[in-house]
Amino acid sequence: MSVEMNHYTNEFQTFQQNGAAKSPDWVNDVRTAALSVFTGKGFPTTKQEDWKYTNVTPIARAPFRYSASAPAVPAELVTSLLIGDTEQHLIVFVNGHFSAEHSRLQSLPAGLTVKNLIAAYGSHADLIKAHLSKYAPYDKNPFTALNTAFINDGAFIHAAKGTKSSLPVHLLFISTAAGDAPAASHIRNLIIAEEGAEVRIAHSFASAQDNTNLTNVVTEVSAGRESIVELVKVQRESEKAFHVEHLHVHQEPRSTSRVFSLAVGGAIARNEMSVIIGGETTECNLNGLYITSGEQLIDHHTFMHHIHPECPSHELFKGILMDKSRAVFNGKVYVEPEAQKTDSKQTNRNLLLSDEAVVDTKPELEIFADDVKCTHGAAVGGMNETHSFYLKTRGISEGSARGILTVGFAAEVTQKIDDPVLRRFVDTIVVDHLRRKFGTGNLPEIVHA
Amino acid sequence: MIEIKNLHANVNGKEILKGINLKVNAGEVHAIMGPNGSGKSTLAQVLSGHPAYQVTQGEVLFEGQDLLDMEPEERAHAGVFLAFQYPVEIPGVSNSYFLKAGLNEIRKSRGQEELDSFQFLKLLKEKMKVVEMDQSFINRPVNEGFSGGEKKRNEILQMAVLEPKLAILDETDSGLDIDALKIVSSGVNKLKSPSNATIVVTHYQRLLNYIVPDFVHVLVHGRIVKSGGKELALELEANGYDFIREEMLQSA
Ligand SMILES: Nc1ncnc2c1ncn2[C@@H]1O[C@H](COP(=O)(O)OP(=O)(O)OP(=O)(O)O)[C@@H](O)[C@H]1O
Ligand SMILES: [Mg+2]
Repeated sequence: MSVEMNHYTNEFQTFQQNGAAKSPDWVNDVRTAALSVFTGKGFPTTKQEDWKYTNVTPIARAPFRYSASAPAVPAELVTSLLIGDTEQHLIVFVNGHFSAEHSRLQSLPAGLTVKNLIAAYGSHADLIKAHLSKYAPYDKNPFTALNTAFINDGAFIHAAKGTKSSLPVHLLFISTAAGDAPAASHIRNLIIAEEGAEVRIAHSFASAQDNTNLTNVVTEVSAGRESIVELVKVQRESEKAFHVEHLHVHQEPRSTSRVFSLAVGGAIARNEMSVIIGGETTECNLNGLYITSGEQLIDHHTFMHHIHPECPSHELFKGILMDKSRAVFNGKVYVEPEAQKTDSKQTNRNLLLSDEAVVDTKPELEIFADDVKCTHGAAVGGMNETHSFYLKTRGISEGSARGILTVGFAAEVTQKIDDPVLRRFVDTIVVDHLRRKFGTGNLPEIVHA
Repeated sequence: MIEIKNLHANVNGKEILKGINLKVNAGEVHAIMGPNGSGKSTLAQVLSGHPAYQVTQGEVLFEGQDLLDMEPEERAHAGVFLAFQYPVEIPGVSNSYFLKAGLNEIRKSRGQEELDSFQFLKLLKEKMKVVEMDQSFINRPVNEGFSGGEKKRNEILQMAVLEPKLAILDETDSGLDIDALKIVSSGVNKLKSPSNATIVVTHYQRLLNYIVPDFVHVLVHGRIVKSGGKELALELEANGYDFIREEMLQSA
């Protein structure tokens, strides 16, 4: 066994002696099975097609440690990471550990449960057993195996039949330095929307300091019949951090999912987003925006699995790349033979603001039904000349036009966020981030038509 | 104000303007008419400095300065304004931010103080009255989702805010309903002064009833083939461009 795998076997033993006891026995069986898959496979290498452009050697080499408890983080930090001034159902985790102190879960409406997974084993044991590790296969992706081996805590959301939450639920994950070794957080989330439920979720990740942690997340979402689930991920961790998430959305008939991924943080960040469109006339919207600078690498691998007929899926990912940064977009669409009349559209557009930035974009369509409409398109380029000329004819300089049009480029995809509160949240973060990167406060706020 | 001498311009290697000569003095209104594809918009874009067009010959003097040597934004600072035939949509960016950014850069270039948000909003609201535009357009993204006519009106609003010396209006009348045509024209007329000039590109004599030109020019195949007073527009309206083509054949 390699040095790296020895490290994780030892880590697993430490973990078993500490927090692991808080879970039911069946969870422990899953963990043990997942660990052997992980140690058998090891970390992925660029020889594997799925990881061709994303070299995770820096993650494999770093001796990340599991920490049994979470260091304190200041209340001001938490406040600065909230969704504007609006009320929200907030659950906070620090290095993967639930923080009762920072969470605000007092005013949950009837039918909506938001708690940490460990607490939920007590109240929703059967439900967890029915869903946990049912959507995220740990035999394919080593990070999912690693996460599953270390399943401990994370967010648990349950929206009972017909429950509609007017306020957004905010899952906030903060990573912070814990001792000398870089800290690993293996976060496991489970979101269940029953029939006809509607939930809107901010799924956000941030760092307390500018340091090298590993956040390895698996999130499983079950969208019941006719439910609507909007999940907006905001990943703004340190540019030294490593971030990996595997998000699985399983949709029942006539449900709607709206998933958005904003990724601006991480030295290496990898988002895998899989949607199983598991029922007729089910709608899926999967959109995202990544902004990279310095030597960041942000990778999105999406997977739309059309199993049933007559389902639309819409996918738009946009990227803004600066400096020597890199981005990867791989959009797989798989249409089963039964999934006739599938209407699937995928677009990936990249704005290169530097000659040294690189993007690898690849659509991957596997279509086994004959009566379908599946389109895809990818574009990589600089500033739009027509737009830029229009601005200049109004006296706006080259530099300002660049900033304004970059904001406009981003706005075209953030407008896909349905919930106005979550859209505002993302817009603000995008503009703040671009202001920092452009080194000017002189960029417009985003407005939508 | 502006003097165009023997201007030739290409796009994608194809010559579109084939020797344009035109002189516009302060206080004048010039109308340019001509068949589709004759090069009217190309002339407007070349004067504003669109990078897709290459000037291969000729010169353009704007108040004695070499206009062709200036960047598009420098031309705007100097006082050139183009109302686009096809205004561009800029998603995400509000009309007011866009206009304030432009106005303040123009003011800065002239050594004037920049307007703060309060002063700018006051000015913007005054100008919106001139073109009778609803205040809801202040915070909408530039031209996004605007109707064809609303986009044209928005162009004239921009002109009203930026107060150019030379305004080039490229088919601002197309897409406007009859009422809007009157409002926009009266806006243009209110902005007219002895110290500025206007070039209107149009297909229709109707507009020229409201914005009365001092000169009318006919552009065909990249050349101005005929110039005259406002009665030339009436003649074109009645007879089309055929009589000019015939005159050209005869003189050839
Ligand atoms: N980017 C371009 N590439 C190729 N051809 C072009 C381009 N831009 C303009 N042209 C051509 O140049 C010619 C003149 O176009 P222009 O838009 O100037 O005509 P116009 O007189 O404004 O016509 P209209 O009355 O229809 O607005 C046309 O034949 C047009 O197709
Ligand atoms: Mg034209």
